[in-house]
Amino acid sequence: MVDLAYNIPVRMIDEYRDSRVIVRSHSASEIVACLTKEPVKQLMYVQLLSLDCEVDQLIHWGESAPIDIVMQDPAEFPKLYRYSDLLENHPVRVSIPAAPGCYKAVKLAVSLNFGVKLLIGQPDHSLIAELARVLDLYLYRPNVAQPVEYFHSTFLSFYQGVPNALWLVQEDDPAVIRYITDDGEDTVSPRLEGIASRADCGSVLAGYQRALLAKESECESCEFWDNCGGYFKWPEKQYRCDGVKSLFRSIKAGAAELQSQLKSFEKSRGGTRQ
Amino acid sequence: MRGNHFSIILLPTNKCNVNCDYCFEDKTRDSMPLDRLSIVIDKVLDHMERSRVGALTIYWQGGEIMTMPPSWFERAYEMIQTAAAARNKHVAHSLQTNMIGYSSKWNKIIAEMFGNSVGTSMDYPNLHRKMFRGGPDDYTRLWYQNVQAARATGIDLSVIAVANQGTLAVGAERFYSYFVDELSIHDFQVNTPFPGGEGNDVKRSMPLDVQDLARFFIDLTDVWIERGYGQGVRVGPVDELVQQFIGGNACLPCIWQKNCADQFIAIDARGFVAQCDCWVTSYPEYFFGNIFECDNLTDMLKQSPARQQFLARPTVNIQQDCLECDYLSICHGGCPVRTYTFSGTLFEKDPYCHLYKSLFRHVEDVAATIAQGRALDPSWKAPGASCAATFRGASEAALSPVLVQLENVSASAGSRLRELRVLQ
Repeated sequence: MVDLAYNIPVRMIDEYRDSRVIVRSHSASEIVACLTKEPVKQLMYVQLLSLDCEVDQLIHWGESAPIDIVMQDPAEFPKLYRYSDLLENHPVRVSIPAAPGCYKAVKLAVSLNFGVKLLIGQPDHSLIAELARVLDLYLYRPNVAQPVEYFHSTFLSFYQGVPNALWLVQEDDPAVIRYITDDGEDTVSPRLEGIASRADCGSVLAGYQRALLAKESECESCEFWDNCGGYFKWPEKQYRCDGVKSLFRSIKAGAAELQSQLKSFEKSRGGTRQ
Repeated sequence: MRGNHFSIILLPTNKCNVNCDYCFEDKTRDSMPLDRLSIVIDKVLDHMERSRVGALTIYWQGGEIMTMPPSWFERAYEMIQTAAAARNKHVAHSLQTNMIGYSSKWNKIIAEMFGNSVGTSMDYPNLHRKMFRGGPDDYTRLWYQNVQAARATGIDLSVIAVANQGTLAVGAERFYSYFVDELSIHDFQVNTPFPGGEGNDVKRSMPLDVQDLARFFIDLTDVWIERGYGQGVRVGPVDELVQQFIGGNACLPCIWQKNCADQFIAIDARGFVAQCDCWVTSYPEYFFGNIFECDNLTDMLKQSPARQQFLARPTVNIQQDCLECDYLSICHGGCPVRTYTFSGTLFEKDPYCHLYKSLFRHVEDVAATIAQGRALDPSWKAPGASCAATFRGASEAALSPVLVQLENVSASAGSRLRELRVLQ
């Protein structure tokens, strides 16, 4: 039985104080004010929804609490410099919309040593080309030392041969994480808006996936189903996955390349890896 | 400044006892009395409390530090440590001196305040460091004599050398031999020159040919790897770059910080506050303010229009070609003062960009070879995952059924995949 996590507006913390929570706000001062009164037992991380707030007070608040900076537009990327000192006391991830210009935002984010999560929908052909550049950056550039999700978990999944559902990696599985709207409504993540009512949050994904696997569908024969699980078929089921499959293929090839090199290396040492 | 540690470059005197051609400081005869130093320290500690910063490093420079009496430092040290302890702050001290005014009277305070360690400066060949009377040779002779005397008492010396035309002419091998073999200096750093302060013929001849300078740094790297790496010889900034490419978490010099305006300030003998020693002595239009005239340092730094420009510099530069650079993460557009003194603006990349890129590329290859050698050594154990894993540890670990530890992937030779980089 999975213990549900709730993504809540920080001002509602008193109602969720005993739950696993991700708290969000556009204001660093609101976060500090709401969370300083009483400790939160199961704070998963703090989500900062604006790159225009005064961030200094967060640097020394709640040391070691993870912070997720959510960009609304990749073009905001130069502002990331002002947030880099958060890393002195916090693990920090930047959530970047997979939209035109995202390569620049990812490049700066990883150069400042932030982890990255791509907020991805159903990318068109030109965006796939840009995402391929991001993937190359993540896989092959020596100065990238931080995870870029969803690439990172998928890479490790291929490397270890253990499926890792994209719905979980992207924190969109309603059986595991719920989104509490600003009005207090308990619902699915914004990416899945419209897929379910509150009543069937826990099972809606399984039903949706069953429908996708109907005979002769693209998903039925897809080699990446175990990882993707139909993630890219929402909201438009007719979306053609050629582009995202090419990204999966590149990640898989990277994992195979690493496995192969490790094998040759171990062979050259005359031993086997533990 | 905003993080856990704060640094100040403190110039208690603007006076100097030598007359070097390429000095970027416009000197005055001002020195800071102890009662004024007390005001500076109180305001710096106030700022640290307001900013919740626990530790301070004071880099003592001039002017020339040793134009002040050692007794001034003895009283200053006691006063600073007492004031800091009362506020539960930690203060460390670092000394940079030309050693021309050194005598045994300095030994006690060097031991107590500076951990028996001193940073000094010398070039090879010395073309531009001069006494007011006498040429570079006289300077070198006196410097060497004082360095030897200091070392005889057990003082550790590190050297900053500024490359000049003669340096390029003699080449890296000879340069390295001079410091390491002839002078037995095992810790030195090579800086690039820039024409800060009042102009003269030497400054007008800058910059050195950047291609030649790049060649020199690359050759120096190779000489150090062959003769000094692992033998207790440190050659900055190459040694830290190797560390950066092998395992990260290196201590790179200020010219490559993501934003030096978040790291430190300089305060001179008159109380002026600016970004670093060159700015505070030579560019009044870039002063952040005067610490004796402000109510508090925090507000001065927050409100200074000049400082806002420094803070804005990387955000502007990133929108130019720095974003495309493979080495953005370890350079961020380079040094503001080098940029300004060559280009007249803060908002361009460092004019030594080509040198930096060439050096980064070369050191990256060198580091890969070293890492490969370590991987082939069965006794070498890969370190744990880097801080890269920390966000996952806190959030995804709770969400994802598959938390894959980076440690499970062991090191290999040859691959450039990032899993290997993290582990190396």
